[in-house]
Amino acid sequence: MTESYKIIDHNYDVVVMGAGGAGLRATLGTVEAGLKTACVTKVFPTRSHTVAAQGGIGASLGNISEDHWQWHMYDTVKGSDWLGDQDAIEYMCRNAVPAVYELEHYGMPFSRTAEGKIYQRPFGGHTRDHGKAPVERACAAADRTGHAMLHTLYQQCLKHKAEFFVEYIAIDLIMDDDGTCRGLVAWDLDTGIMHRFNAKMTILASGGYGRAFFSCTSAHTCTGDGHGMVARAGLGLQDMEFVQFHPTGIYGSGCLITEGARGEGGYLTNSEGERFMERYAPTVKDLASRDVVSRGMAQEIRDGRGVGEHGEYIHLHLEHLGSDVLWERLPGITETAKIFAGVDATKEPIPVLPTVHYNMGGIPTNYKGEVLNPTADDPNRIVPGLMAAGEAACVSVHGANRLGTNSLLDLVVFGRACGMHAAEIVDPKASFKELKASDGQQALDRFDRLRWAKGARPTAEIRLEMQKVMQSNCGVFRTSEILGEGVEKLAKTASTLSDVSVSDRSLIWNSDLVETMELENLMVCAASTMNSAEARHESRGAHAHEDYPKRDDEVWMKHTIAKVAWDNNYGVDLTYRPVNNFTLTDEVEYIEPKERVY
Amino acid sequence: MAEFKLPANSVVQDGKSFSAPANAKNTRKFQIYRYDPDSGDNPRTDTFELDLDACGPMVLDALIKIKNEIDATLTFRRSCREGICGSCAMNIDGRNTLACLKPIEDIDGDVKIYPLPHMPVVKDLVPDLSQPYAQLASIEPWLKADSPTPPDGERLQSREERAKLDGLWECILCFSCSTACPSYWWNSDRYLGPAVLLQAYRWLADSRDEYTGERLDALEDPFRLYRCHTIMNCTNTCPKGLNPALAITEIKKMIAERGA
Amino acid sequence: MKMQSDLGRVRGLGSAKSGSSHWWAQRVTAAANLPLGLWFIYSILAGHTASFDAVHAWLSSYFHATMMILLVISVAWHFVLGLQVVIEDYVHNRKAEIASLLLIRALTAFMSVAAIISVLRIVFAGA
Repeated sequence: MTESYKIIDHNYDVVVMGAGGAGLRATLGTVEAGLKTACVTKVFPTRSHTVAAQGGIGASLGNISEDHWQWHMYDTVKGSDWLGDQDAIEYMCRNAVPAVYELEHYGMPFSRTAEGKIYQRPFGGHTRDHGKAPVERACAAADRTGHAMLHTLYQQCLKHKAEFFVEYIAIDLIMDDDGTCRGLVAWDLDTGIMHRFNAKMTILASGGYGRAFFSCTSAHTCTGDGHGMVARAGLGLQDMEFVQFHPTGIYGSGCLITEGARGEGGYLTNSEGERFMERYAPTVKDLASRDVVSRGMAQEIRDGRGVGEHGEYIHLHLEHLGSDVLWERLPGITETAKIFAGVDATKEPIPVLPTVHYNMGGIPTNYKGEVLNPTADDPNRIVPGLMAAGEAACVSVHGANRLGTNSLLDLVVFGRACGMHAAEIVDPKASFKELKASDGQQALDRFDRLRWAKGARPTAEIRLEMQKVMQSNCGVFRTSEILGEGVEKLAKTASTLSDVSVSDRSLIWNSDLVETMELENLMVCAASTMNSAEARHESRGAHAHEDYPKRDDEVWMKHTIAKVAWDNNYGVDLTYRPVNNFTLTDEVEYIEPKERVY
Repeated sequence: MAEFKLPANSVVQDGKSFSAPANAKNTRKFQIYRYDPDSGDNPRTDTFELDLDACGPMVLDALIKIKNEIDATLTFRRSCREGICGSCAMNIDGRNTLACLKPIEDIDGDVKIYPLPHMPVVKDLVPDLSQPYAQLASIEPWLKADSPTPPDGERLQSREERAKLDGLWECILCFSCSTACPSYWWNSDRYLGPAVLLQAYRWLADSRDEYTGERLDALEDPFRLYRCHTIMNCTNTCPKGLNPALAITEIKKMIAERGA
Repeated sequence: MKMQSDLGRVRGLGSAKSGSSHWWAQRVTAAANLPLGLWFIYSILAGHTASFDAVHAWLSSYFHATMMILLVISVAWHFVLGLQVVIEDYVHNRKAEIASLLLIRALTAFMSVAAIISVLRIVFAGA
């Protein structure tokens, strides 16, 4: 049953999808540059998942002790297990310092040092002078840094009178025959009207896809919508096998306990009360990078040294810090531990477990934010009219494993880069190329197909099945057998998407339909993640393959590009793209790969 | 006159009932407000009986369970599920709070769930919040300063100055407080409400802001500010434990101080 | 049908840049009502209002007459300010609002002036 939908057309210089940290920073940049910008977002900006970031934003301000952006760069490259593109990493770490000062100038309420400067705390993987000792690099607003940052960026957008389209669900990109992006189609939940945004530049800042897994720290809204749109536009996704497990998700609920807790002096113990991280990372111990700590914890649990009745979790100790420090510097997690674990963190340890937290992979871009469509001849070919930033993008600065605090940094630095680059290449005086009547038809067809879907399997059932497969077959430890089984199981689940059933037919706030559209996007992410992981026969960063326990730079120093056949049972086609083995300027040299020890 | 009675088309009627599986031992009934904008019918309350042994501990877990397993048309906002995004504010057991932070165990008897009071309802538990959002924009909630910023560094702020912002900047804009305030119910078109006034005070209290006078000018109004009658519902209901009533009093004190 | 933007409606006519004197006066009169009220209650308990003659004698005193006039002014003022808030809160018809505000003020003015004149009459008649 197809019906004609009411459609409103818009012309904008720039349309930004998503209003988290990256989306707001990009919006702010383009608006400031005088470009007419629309920010389309499925939740009110301050509800975006950036709000949940806790510990801090990394920048070598050196407010507590000596620090340099080159050290930050070294740590990031090492954290990425050398899969990160060093030109982009250089760009990010150099720009970290001005980016944080800019946030402060915008009014962000950072915590302060005794001299009145921005407070900084140590964080996993961030070290002084190339790994010698932990360094205070995470600029923090108590343990609610993401909240402080997101609200500040929204305030600046209000100041600059940015135009928001709130609670609009982006359905699909509008692509030209020549592969240029022309904008996107979105559905207004409030009125049920469809909107076609004709834009000279489209910026995707749609966040990660943690909800492809059963247990994650991510919000319910982290469903890889931009990933899905890109896949349906026939473009590839990069390095999707690299999924970060945060060491300290609360056992049970999966709510996040910031790494800043360990930065402030917290530590992990097993059932014997042993500080086991001393064995896995003798130098920085509990402040090793996240993949290392998560693997250490998982190993302890596998070896029967987990805490609890069935030895299923690990203890995080904060009680020795004293309640004054906890309430001043970590008030949010002290509260969260009370609510979600029933634990008074000032008196007893918190039960934690490695939990899916961040997607290093995503939409491939260069350091300017332009989306790439790599070919064998040109691995850096760009998609005209399309950019991406934030967790949705894979620049790649995080490579195989992201360092804590580099995510908030990524958001502002590359959100800003998108804004700056859009300002360079978009001419606000140029007239708009008109859309054809058929532009966006693919989006409407997709919408209509799902809206009237009356198969046998409810959305929630398929989603749960997918999440369980991802959780059990694409976890902290991977083997060829487990991954192979995962590919098969997931393909089976994906094939039932054509039998999905939607029970709400309304155009107004049809959240059943929204979740079904999100499920399609999640399935793109899940399929590309599982298949990319199955193919990578090495261990690097977050991808720990037990059959191939060593990093293999000879063969695998390359980015995976996964194209998902969304219209053909989510089959995945894999190609590869070289890692950029050069820096942006001559001021810093390429950091040669070496063994990664903390 | 202010309306003290629901208009005829808003009177809530009894809706459908769903019982728990027969073998469930630990059951609880959830009475949930439903409104379908397409039918235009009066709102109703549907009753869902759940097996709590097969459900997460929070009210949001129950809502999600209902949506996943019983009635996919049930509509509500949710995102972070850890009390930081402010999406799932609703009236639970007669009190405005976040569904994700409200343990089912804390509620005696049937769990009654309604949208935030006195806001237009879009669908089921989704209220239209465009007015409080506009009110937020109207107070110009951003740092205003004319002194040049340091070219290569942060503005300095002492720890004591920064401590004045604690309890203010943590607001998540869920509007539980504003929609719990009778004064906001009667005059939401002119009274800014506790959430927005807390934000206003956040900038008045910031040592880096240089527009205190202008901000106070804009607030000094019998309706925008002085509709607050210190009823204290805002502070009682805040799911984050903040104190908007105190912030409003501080604004009134600042205005009195400059007048004196 | 309301088609104005939310922001336009919310900004409305702008700030009245007043209200603080009302708020302040309400608090000052409330504070004044306290000692004046205590004095009044004490006077009743002490039997000064037991009969017409007792009242007459009581209010012939300059001190008590002054206190009584202050009480009338303060209570009346506080009463007007308080009722004004109630009317503004609940009466949303602009004409009805202005009419009731004027009526309240007129009635209160009449009654308080009448009360003051009565006291003055007793004081001066007794002199």
